[in-house]
Amino acid sequence: MKCWTRRKFGCFAGATCLAALVPRVARSQVAARVVVIGGGVGGATVAKYLAASATMIEVTLIEPKLRYTTCFFSNLYLAGLRSLESLTHGYETLAQRYGVNVVHDSVTAIDPVGKTVALEGGAKLPYDRVVLAPGIAFKYGTIEGYDETATQAMPHAWTAGPQTKLLRQQLESMEDGGVFVLVAPPDPFRCPPGPYERASLIAYYFKQYKPRAKILILDAKDSFFEQDVFQDGWNRHYPGMIEWLPGQFTGGIQAIDVKGRLLKTAGDTFKADVANVIPAQEAGQLAQEAGLADQSGWCPIDPMTFESKLQPGIHVIGDAAKAGNMAKSAFASNSQAKVCAFAILAALTGSERFAPHLFNTCFTFLASDDAVTSVISYRAEPETIRINDIFISKVGENAETRRKAVREADGWYAAFTHDVFG
Amino acid sequence: MTTRCFRDESASNIRQIIVLSISASLVIFVANRSAVADNDRGAQLAATCASCHRLDGRDKGIPSIIGLDEETFIRAMQAFKSGERPSQIMRVMSRSLSNEEIATLAHYLSTLRMETKRP
Repeated sequence: MKCWTRRKFGCFAGATCLAALVPRVARSQVAARVVVIGGGVGGATVAKYLAASATMIEVTLIEPKLRYTTCFFSNLYLAGLRSLESLTHGYETLAQRYGVNVVHDSVTAIDPVGKTVALEGGAKLPYDRVVLAPGIAFKYGTIEGYDETATQAMPHAWTAGPQTKLLRQQLESMEDGGVFVLVAPPDPFRCPPGPYERASLIAYYFKQYKPRAKILILDAKDSFFEQDVFQDGWNRHYPGMIEWLPGQFTGGIQAIDVKGRLLKTAGDTFKADVANVIPAQEAGQLAQEAGLADQSGWCPIDPMTFESKLQPGIHVIGDAAKAGNMAKSAFASNSQAKVCAFAILAALTGSERFAPHLFNTCFTFLASDDAVTSVISYRAEPETIRINDIFISKVGENAETRRKAVREADGWYAAFTHDVFG
Repeated sequence: MTTRCFRDESASNIRQIIVLSISASLVIFVANRSAVADNDRGAQLAATCASCHRLDGRDKGIPSIIGLDEETFIRAMQAFKSGERPSQIMRVMSRSLSNEEIATLAHYLSTLRMETKRP
């Protein structure tokens, strides 16, 4: 059995060509420093793939939380099909096996001129490259009466953890016959099928425990991703339980009276027993403060490297990035993180660059034994990212195909979180 | 001093992926240039597979793709491409890769070995 230290492994990789190392020595003696900000899927993936490059790159990952709960699959927790613990992952493996320097702190500022990242704890970290993976921020104020305080009464549950727990508690406490209102956000937002999967899986829970309950979706949009597949699933599994009202029908949600549990649209006012309000979104706060977002609220990037078009030396990946036609999803973030990691390695070490491959795959649950898939490959062009090829599950697929997707989804979650955190 | 033990193939596989990436420019002077570049490219392509397929040989729900002989892997990918082997996900994935990339990936994955017990 071989037992190598990190240093020995690095030596092994280059041992056959010591003489050839000479022109590179000056460069390799000084480790390049990459600071990754944000320990979600994008940040953890880029940190892992960079740190696995052994001694030449020193990788620091800044994340305030000790553990990360995945937003993907959290609707299964709301349905009672998974524990929150099974969706929660630590950073120990990144630190211990890959040598990532994990710092649990918050970033207060990025100085792109001095090339430093300032932390709340007082430290100032110098960098050669920064990768920012800040996720989303909610645009409070777009719905009158719904601010951060209101999330404690009407959770968004669109970042997983305490908010998801709160929503589950409220659903458990709701009387049979109650009305659950879900406010679905305008495009673009994290996880396009997510709100509708949530409605499906909460209906799955209601069907067993509160069969007289109703679900009302007040949408800002007039259509949504995989709409026909969802509506077919709702008719088959939960007939009469879920009602979807498009923006053109209601005029959109205008204001919320949190105390009265009233949701006001341009026309009608709806009373909720439990309300889940998913607000409009934009790139995470730090991206806004660091001048990385444009007027759209998202961060323009070079599709080949994910380097910011507004601040050289800073890369933006994941939900915050303005990545052409790429969906905002964990899978897409993971895919972008690898392209970004290989581009940074090429820039810092001179290694060869290859054509980037970008993908997104989603497993979406309609019920415990009924899941659908979507898979997209993308083409990175100089100015944008376009869909190259796409498959989306169709209405009328047989039950075994859907059961197989459930089994694949479970396997995918295990493999994917291993790729990110393990 | 702490000594870390990279006994499991998962860690060394991923490490191999990246180390080969960055060492390409160094090794280039003494090794066959195209062989190194192919391995480097294979490693980066394999990283995309790792989003669904564990590269340590575990296969719960989604099959393992490591340690296969190259011909078997290439035949499977061509069958996904043509639709002869039904899988919508693999159809999209395989169609995004050129025949040359599939051959490079086949060679790279064939060299990865199943993870032994973790320490």
